[in-house]
Amino acid sequence: MHETDENLMLAVRNGEVGKLAFLFDRHHRLLFDFFAKLTGSRAAAEDLVQDVFFRILKYRGTFRDESRFKAWMFHIARNARIDYYRKHHTGTLPAEDRDTEPQSRFGMPGDDLEQEQQVFLLECALLKLAPEKREVLILSRYQDMKYEQIAEMLGCEVSTIKVRVFRAIKELRDIFFKLSNEKPPCNVKKSVNSLRIM
Amino acid sequence: MQCEEVREQFADYVIARVEAPAPLEIVEHLSSCAACRAELDELKSLWMQLENAPATEPTAELQARFDVMLAAYEEGLRRPVHNWRRPVLEFAAAAALLVIGIGVGYRMHTPPARNPELAELQSELHQTRQMVALSLMQEQSATDRLKGVGWSYRLQEPGADVLQALLDTLMHDSNVNVRLATVDALRQFGNQPVVRRGIVDAMTRQEAPMVQIALIDLAVDLKEKESVGSLQQLTQDHNIDPAVRDRAEKGLEQLR
Ligand SMILES: [Zn+2]
Repeated sequence: MHETDENLMLAVRNGEVGKLAFLFDRHHRLLFDFFAKLTGSRAAAEDLVQDVFFRILKYRGTFRDESRFKAWMFHIARNARIDYYRKHHTGTLPAEDRDTEPQSRFGMPGDDLEQEQQVFLLECALLKLAPEKREVLILSRYQDMKYEQIAEMLGCEVSTIKVRVFRAIKELRDIFFKLSNEKPPCNVKKSVNSLRIM
Repeated sequence: MQCEEVREQFADYVIARVEAPAPLEIVEHLSSCAACRAELDELKSLWMQLENAPATEPTAELQARFDVMLAAYEEGLRRPVHNWRRPVLEFAAAAALLVIGIGVGYRMHTPPARNPELAELQSELHQTRQMVALSLMQEQSATDRLKGVGWSYRLQEPGADVLQALLDTLMHDSNVNVRLATVDALRQFGNQPVVRRGIVDAMTRQEAPMVQIALIDLAVDLKEKESVGSLQQLTQDHNIDPAVRDRAEKGLEQLR
């Protein structure tokens, strides 16, 4: 038996709040990955995922019969992210909260060191992008969202989204190549500590 | 076609989800311009690399926190209304929730008090209760708001926002029963200056005699000297319920 996300959420809305556990099970990894890439911090990402699911409970009454769950969830996620940065005043995460160093990926047996370095550089570059640009890239590239869904979520035209994505990728490329040419190239620890999140 | 113009068209070939054949003009330009070819290849390859970046996995703690939160929320909704006056078996409930959390991802190697993970979970539980209390106090139905007020009994040290929410409820809630329950709930935080001030402020502004009497009782029990002015005002107000006036007079005597 497979209930759709929408049916589960309608049940949650109508009082069976325990069914949120199924939705959490299906989506929390995706959401965590989204926030981790967006903020560069695992701790912040976990807080934000928790916040999103709490908001889903709190605002369950606003989920409409015709709403699509994933778009609705990302809409909430976006607001949670905006509030999170507002709460942290400058929009810069405190140094101790920044833990982007992808430890789990380094030193894994059989992993290609050069590939790891590339991935890491890319993550460095992503974090140097302005948050709106980073967001739109992460949504379109990592989250496998259709441009139509992203447009709906951000409240603008599909063509606008495409232009934004393309601009973001061009800017990312520039940052990426600048980082690649730095000597020494993007020292892991140092660069993470000197990264400004926003 | 100029390089600039050509590159503006790249968007469709780089980020498009479906491969569309490029117009002849562009194909021709690309075949003769190495710089534009390189630009397109670079962008395409970066776009592919983005997809290959591995997903970051959460720790088991995330699941544990969610379970604690959901259990707390469900319990908040289930809790019968008539229980709001009685602080429930706080410890048993807390222990039950902790077990849920620990069962998911926690192994205890050290005694509870010294276990930092447990301490963290306890703090998480505390925060969850605050969230539940706060969110229920904003609900549409008076029954839910009563539950929210009731949840404050589970907070040994409520945050400023919970206290403020209680005081707001006391001042502005449209339902007398909710306001009355709030007076009761505020009693447990009577040592906090902000609460004492709130009680004194509310005394003369309440319209329901029942709530006014409850506030006078509370101020007297807390031996709040600052309430003398408000009490005097009440004894001289001839528009209010005589029972309230009587109680205010008695209260003044008790505080002297
Ligand atoms: Zn050219």
